[in-house]
Order: sequence, then C-alpha cells, then structure tokens
Amino acid sequence: MLLPYVEFARKAFSREATYRVEVFTNVGSLVLRVYLLRSLWTALYAQNAGPADLPLHAMITYTTVALLMSLVLEIDGTRMIRDKVREGTIAIDLMKPISLPLYFFSDGFGQTLFHALLIVPSLACALLLVHIDVPGPATLAAFLVAFALGYGVNFFLNFLMNAVAFWTLETFAIQLVIRWVSDLLSGQILPLSLFPGALGGLVNALPFAAIYSTPLRIYIGQATGDDIVRALLVQCGWLATFAALSLVVWRYAQRRVVVQGG
Amino acid sequence: MPIIETRELRKVFRSVKRVPGALGALRTLFSREHVDRVAVEGITMAVDEGELVGYIGPNGAGKSTTIKMLTGILVPSSGDALVAGLVPWRERKRNARNIGVVFGQRSQLYWDLPLVESFELLRAIYAVPPARYRRNLAAFVELLEMSDFLSTPVRQLSLGQRMRGDFAAALLHDPRIVYLDEPTIGLDVVAKEAIRTFIAELNTARGTTFILTTHDLADVERLCRRIVLIDRGTLVFDGTIESLKDRFGRQRTLVVTLAEPYAEVSVAGAEVVAREGDVVRLRFDRGSIGADQLIRRVADAYSVIDVSIEEPELESIIRRIYVEGYDERGRPLAGGRVAEPLA
Repeated sequence: MLLPYVEFARKAFSREATYRVEVFTNVGSLVLRVYLLRSLWTALYAQNAGPADLPLHAMITYTTVALLMSLVLEIDGTRMIRDKVREGTIAIDLMKPISLPLYFFSDGFGQTLFHALLIVPSLACALLLVHIDVPGPATLAAFLVAFALGYGVNFFLNFLMNAVAFWTLETFAIQLVIRWVSDLLSGQILPLSLFPGALGGLVNALPFAAIYSTPLRIYIGQATGDDIVRALLVQCGWLATFAALSLVVWRYAQRRVVVQGG
Repeated sequence: MPIIETRELRKVFRSVKRVPGALGALRTLFSREHVDRVAVEGITMAVDEGELVGYIGPNGAGKSTTIKMLTGILVPSSGDALVAGLVPWRERKRNARNIGVVFGQRSQLYWDLPLVESFELLRAIYAVPPARYRRNLAAFVELLEMSDFLSTPVRQLSLGQRMRGDFAAALLHDPRIVYLDEPTIGLDVVAKEAIRTFIAELNTARGTTFILTTHDLADVERLCRRIVLIDRGTLVFDGTIESLKDRFGRQRTLVVTLAEPYAEVSVAGAEVVAREGDVVRLRFDRGSIGADQLIRRVADAYSVIDVSIEEPELESIIRRIYVEGYDERGRPLAGGRVAEPLA
C-alpha cells in the first residue's frame, strides 16, 4: 500500500542528487549568509542596537540554526502541482491509482531527505565561522519534534498555495507575496520577540510562527517547561487545521481539473 | 457484455466570458457572465473486450474529452459510463488499475531518471508481482527493441525511443483497456511500424482492448476493424472501415492506360480528373454507373492497354466528412461546413 510512496521519495532523492552544481551552490550560499548575518549582528550589538533579552551568541545561534533549517524548509514538493496543472500533465498522474497529495508529499519528503544531508557539510563549514550554542538533550528532542511539526505546517501551507493553480493556473504573484510575508512572519529572518507590543502578539498568533519561530524559540531557550508543551500543542492545532483545509481544497480541485490543451 | 459502455455521455465546459482588450481583461475579473461550450453531446457506444477501435474526428470534436471521462479524470455533465464494470469518475483509482494510457505528446516517464527506473516506479504504483513484472519487461524490451537505452535518462532519448518506453510503461501492469492518444505523432516510418506491430501483437496475443485516437489514418487502417467517428461532439459513424467506405465513399476512380495518344477523352457517366500522357483518371459514382459498364464504354470508344479501379482512400473520405459534413446515411448536410482550423 505504502510502497509506491516510498518509491516516490527514493526517486526524488536520487533525482536531487543528479544536480550536483546546485548542491555546492546551496551549501556555498548558506555559508556566505551565515557569515553575513554574523557580521551584521556583531556590528549591531557593538552599537548596542541588539535586543536586551537576547545576547549576541544566542542571536547568532538563532540565525545560523534558522538558515540550516531553511535547507529543508525551502523545499517545496508541491510546486509541481502548479507546473503540472499549467502543462496539463496532472491528467497523467490522475490516471494512476495513487493519491496525489500523498505523492506530492513523498516526493517533497525525498527531496527533503537529500537536502537534510546537506545540513552536515553546511554545519561543518558554518562552525568554522561562528560558534553556536547546543542545548541539552531534552531541549534538543523538543526542538526536533517542533521542527517536524513545523515541516508539516509548511507542507500544507505550500500545498494550499500551489493548489490555487487549479483555479487561476498562475500562482506566481500569490506565491511571491506569501513567501515574503512568511519569511518575515515565520521568524526565519528575525526572532519574533523583536516585534513590539501588539504586533508581536499578532505575529505570534499567526500560523507562520509555527514553522520557524516555535522550534527556534525552544532551541535558544526562550520557551521552557510548560511553554514548550503549549507551543507544541499550538503547532499541532495549526497542522490539523491546514491538513483539514487542504483535504477540502483538494476535493474541490480534483473536480475542477480542466486539462490545458485538451 | 461490453467492457466499455457509454449512454448519452455529455460534457459542457463553462468558462467566464472574455472581453478583448486591457479594459476587457479588467472587466472579466468582475464579470459573472458565462459561456457554455458543448464538448461532447450525448455519445452512446459499446466496446467489447479485445476490440481495437479507432476513435477519430477533427480537432475539437470531443475525442480527448470523451477519453478523459472514460479515464475518470473528468466528470460528465450528464449521462453514464461503465468501464470494466466501474463508473470511472466515481472510482478513479480502481478504474486506473484497469487502464493504461499513452499520450503521443506527453510522457509519463520520469524525465531525469533512467528509463528502467520509471518502469520500477510503475511496478510499485500498480503493485505488479515481481515475476510478472520481469516477464512483461523482458517481453517488451524484446518486442520494442529497448535493450540499448534501458539505462539512459529519459531526457536523452530520441522521440522514437521515448515513445517505445511510454508504451512499455503503459502496459507493464497488464491493463485490460489501453487508451492511445496520437501514439505515432512525429515518428518516422520505421518507428511507426514498430509501434503498430506492437499494438497488433498485444491485441491478438493478450486480448487487450485498445481505443486509438489519432489523426494518422494509416494507423487506423492498419490496426482497426472498427471506427467511431465523432464531429462537433456528436457520433457521426460507428462501424467497420469497409462499411464507412461503402457508405461515404461512393466515388471510385478508373485508371485507364490508352494505346494511342488521343487528343481528347470523354466518357458518359464519368469525369476526367487527371491526365498524364497515356494515363487517364476517370471519377465515377458507383451508385449511378457500374464499373463493368464504364469499362465497356471506354473500351468501345478508345483503344486501351490497361484498366484498374482505385478504391477511395480512408483519408479522402474522412476529409470529405470533416469538410463537407455528412449525415449518417452519407448524404451531405445542407450548407456543408468548414473544418475547424488546425490547433
């Protein structure tokens, strides 16, 4: 039953491995960004422009781990929905005895696994430039759980965005906007604790926070004890909401398939 | 019992009415005006297991739309269909196990992976038992001569090689029904023939049912006994190629080789359509004059070395049906019509 999906993931994994140049570019650009952000924050902290409750080493840890997470989280296995709908090849997939959402997920997961391997060399290179804090095993485990939940939320968010293609055929503009918003509001670029007052409350209440901010807050010790449990539960809530929404959208989308150039 | 059965199958596409121009595009955003386009208008037909049916019609006639409904990816506006006992659009995944599909213009192979890895993926998708997979793969590799490029990435294959790969891919799970959509488009003569032989072989050896959609009537003439012709969403003809020719192709050509260089040739009941030196081509209507009678008239008036009768080609018959429009009894429709422009 699950065999085809394991195969999809395996094929996606080996497909990613065929693009060697991209692999090196990815690692290279990541290390460069680690270096730039380190310089930026060091300079800002030297001017006393850094936040009071977050020491420099925690900030550097935050941004470096966020960059390493992005190796995995920037993979969008559902992007092919858009391409397939536009080119009409989704028809061929629908003529197969498979669940398409599961297919997209497993393909994305296969890509993810490959890019997760890139974390190792990237981390090794990054450690030459920066020092990052490593929390205790319990916190680390909580971080990994939060990371996995965030991965799920991210998948369904991407799925929903790309599923818009079933209605508009073109999703580029929407994607761009959501990508910018999500980069900023998910805590990928900045810790969300830097947002002031009511804005901070709002940003933390949005689903984007579940993707980067929650795992990172656990990692750098901003969330502890009951806070962690509460944060994980909120993530679960978002995951369930988006999964349910995706199912509904998919049901309508499938009905709507109008193949291009038929 | 037929393996494919449709009753009054109908599909209407609804789209938002477009207004030309930049302002029009803006208005389209808010306009709720719809345009209905009937793609398929009540198709009723039945196909028996093991048949090889040519499903033909001009561009935009509704062929692809019908196939999409039979494969379960389009829901009809009204009407019924049963494919191997299933309603395709209600049980898409179960129906998918019974069918195989080949698109000449689209590939189901994995672009970046070696050909054989696509096959392995399909084995997993359809849960083909290992022994059967090996047997089928070996048979197809031999029949389609694929051994040289099995481990070549698909993007490096020639069109002919890729098509052979696509055929194998569509048939690895022993589907009972295979839909072929322009399977020989763009192929050279040799590759076309290889594909046709493969289809014929599978049809006779395994009793696989094929529905062949194509504009290449040589495919149809070589492979199909039965033709289903649709035009503007309606079924125009359903029967054997012979009866199609019989019904629509009443015009025959008598080719006469003359013994002497006559200045002018004319025979009552026939029309000279071409003349090249000693060879004269006379067109006549089979309904109004018998061939024997015509030959006698020619032989009485001229000294003749050789005569032969040319059967009408399927292609010219179909072309006339597309362009002029005929009713089911072969009578031209009033006014005739112009074929849809090629897309």
